[in-house]
Amino acid sequence: MNKRLSVKHLLGIKQLTAEDIDLILTTADQFKEVLNRTIKKVPSLRDITIANLFFENSTRTRVSFELAERRLSADIVNFSASSSSVKKGETLIDTVNNILAMKVDMVVMRHPNPGACVFLSRHVDSKIINAGDGAHEHPTQALLDAYSIRERLGSVKGKRVAIIGDILHSRVALSNIYCLQKLGAEVMVCGPQTLVPRYIGSLGVKVEYNLRKALEWCEVANMLRIQLERQDIRYFPSLREYTMQYGVNKQMLDSLGREITIMHPGPINRGVEITSDVADSDQAIILGQVENGVAVRMAVLYLLAGRTDE
Amino acid sequence: MKVVLQSARILDPQSPHNGKSADLLIENGTIVSIGKNLTGDRVISSGNLCVSPGWFDLQVDFCDPGNEQKETISSGAAAAAAGGFTGVLLMPSTQPVVQSKSEIEYLLRKAQGLLTDIFPAGALSHDLHGKDMAELYDMHLAGAKAFTDGHLPVSDAGLVVRTLLYTKTFGGKIFASCDEHSISLDGKMNEGPTSTALGLKGIPALAEELMVARNMYLCEYAGAPLHFMNISTARSAELIRAAKKQGLPVTAAVNVCNLAWDDSALHDFDTNLKVNPPLRSRTDIDALLAALADGTIDVITSDHRPEDPESKVVEFDLAAFGMIGLETAFALARTAAPKLPIEKLAAIFSANPRRLLGINVPSVKEGETANLTVFDPDMEWTFTEKDICSLSRNTPAVGMKLKGKALAVANNGLWNFS
Repeated sequence: MNKRLSVKHLLGIKQLTAEDIDLILTTADQFKEVLNRTIKKVPSLRDITIANLFFENSTRTRVSFELAERRLSADIVNFSASSSSVKKGETLIDTVNNILAMKVDMVVMRHPNPGACVFLSRHVDSKIINAGDGAHEHPTQALLDAYSIRERLGSVKGKRVAIIGDILHSRVALSNIYCLQKLGAEVMVCGPQTLVPRYIGSLGVKVEYNLRKALEWCEVANMLRIQLERQDIRYFPSLREYTMQYGVNKQMLDSLGREITIMHPGPINRGVEITSDVADSDQAIILGQVENGVAVRMAVLYLLAGRTDE
Repeated sequence: MKVVLQSARILDPQSPHNGKSADLLIENGTIVSIGKNLTGDRVISSGNLCVSPGWFDLQVDFCDPGNEQKETISSGAAAAAAGGFTGVLLMPSTQPVVQSKSEIEYLLRKAQGLLTDIFPAGALSHDLHGKDMAELYDMHLAGAKAFTDGHLPVSDAGLVVRTLLYTKTFGGKIFASCDEHSISLDGKMNEGPTSTALGLKGIPALAEELMVARNMYLCEYAGAPLHFMNISTARSAELIRAAKKQGLPVTAAVNVCNLAWDDSALHDFDTNLKVNPPLRSRTDIDALLAALADGTIDVITSDHRPEDPESKVVEFDLAAFGMIGLETAFALARTAAPKLPIEKLAAIFSANPRRLLGINVPSVKEGETANLTVFDPDMEWTFTEKDICSLSRNTPAVGMKLKGKALAVANNGLWNFS
């Protein structure tokens, strides 16, 4: 049995095969079991040092990675842009090489520029895990989302998943599209036309601008946050108007006549993309996603650390 | 030194020998004789040897003064000669900007004694800010051959009209790049399936086309010639075609990289392919090739833009736009447009740019001063790092198999053999 990933880095879902994704999810099953033991720690990465490089603000992804690393007994160093030399004009390659010179084995990187991890993988000698690069990819989020759908609905194959919200600025959307399609799901994107990339249809997804129709179509709705901090110009007049057209509330869900699953990568803007009664309902698996995030990241770290090149 | 071109096809509509094959003897910078069985100290022969008036590139950056680590006048001139060019038009986007007589004079002084003729373009607006007119007349007197803000589009329509009107009386040429910023914003590549898959901000074709259309109206209103420096989309080509049909004094050029690569080449974030106007779709390329074939587009430029590793070996969003192109321009064009008749391609590279700029077109005939390019349009070769004469290395063409090669250039009594 081949228990190896086909890739050396996790740069994006784009580079993974369906078998890779499957391997990650089944490995995550084992780690999820570990996480529910009294002793939540395993020695798998005891000799591995991991640097978490966050060139952009992040709380949940950083904490999730850090916990996953600690649960695997890795040594870790954290580095964030605010405390770095980046502002002194050091290049990304120099910054990372300086850290690697201190004998670091793997790099987990969050970066504001699309392709930053692909770029880094070509210029430094280390295993790289993309923790989000601009509006490009956020592979571990997509993997934990797929894991959560599989856990809730039995499988991903054949499921109809709608990704709703700011698709244009979202790395979650792109990675989710690639991941869900590789696992055989049907994907729809939905949002105001100003926030849906004009050529998104070329990725083989359905496009819908009407929220009601998207909810009627799907079995899973993945609600994205409106990323005002990424919007350099106005794409809609106000959050109030956004919510009028794209906010999901309980009454709307109840009127569908069947229960759909609500997901959210967080952080939630309560009352904007979903109301509190939706976020806190049994239909929503938002906290389950967070829990699964640690298991899935443990699986990714474990599989990449164990992958040798001979 | 007596140089003989053996059995060379002469591609020069001004020459009585146009279309014929003959031996040419060039000595002391003059075409001494065109005939048979000529002998000399150095003989050039090739499978399909051709000779045309020296090629001319209407859009190059030599980064001098200000960024001499990227390129200098002499290194740029060497790159031009290696690529078959005997003349170039320098963009004004140096540091300081070329916007007064003294910068023009600096460039012309630096150009003395070089094989490649250097023609400076002056800034259209002060500091390239797109607000106030630079001293166009003074620069014209000093030798500026065109006025442009280079790759920076002039958003202010009124400024474009006023410069068209102002320069009309003394025959200054206005060159325009087209990009409507409110549409392109800080886009990094063509908007399309590839930008979507990469999460990179897209530059819609619309951004260029809107300003091409706007500039048509400005040109018509002013009744003065306007040159579109670097069109890249199918619709832009269509607009130029319609304007020419209408009799407007417009001309157009395309950058060779916009013929050689489509935007899908960017799939792994190669910053050497980050250019503006951005690489477009295959459909756009086909339309641009058709526009070259029917004369809608007059000129192909290398858009030679040297960049150092500090500007290119960085994250894609942060990388500078542009690639070097003088050494590969002809070969990339020939490879991208194999069906374009070689006579036409020779004109696109030699006579067309000079006419557009209003400068003398040299001729390949006996007794003329030798300003010529010797090339083989069918020679197949692989471009390597060793072929780069520029001080910068920012080209995605290394390792590419190309068709068509400049073998030698002669100008100002000098030879360069590639």
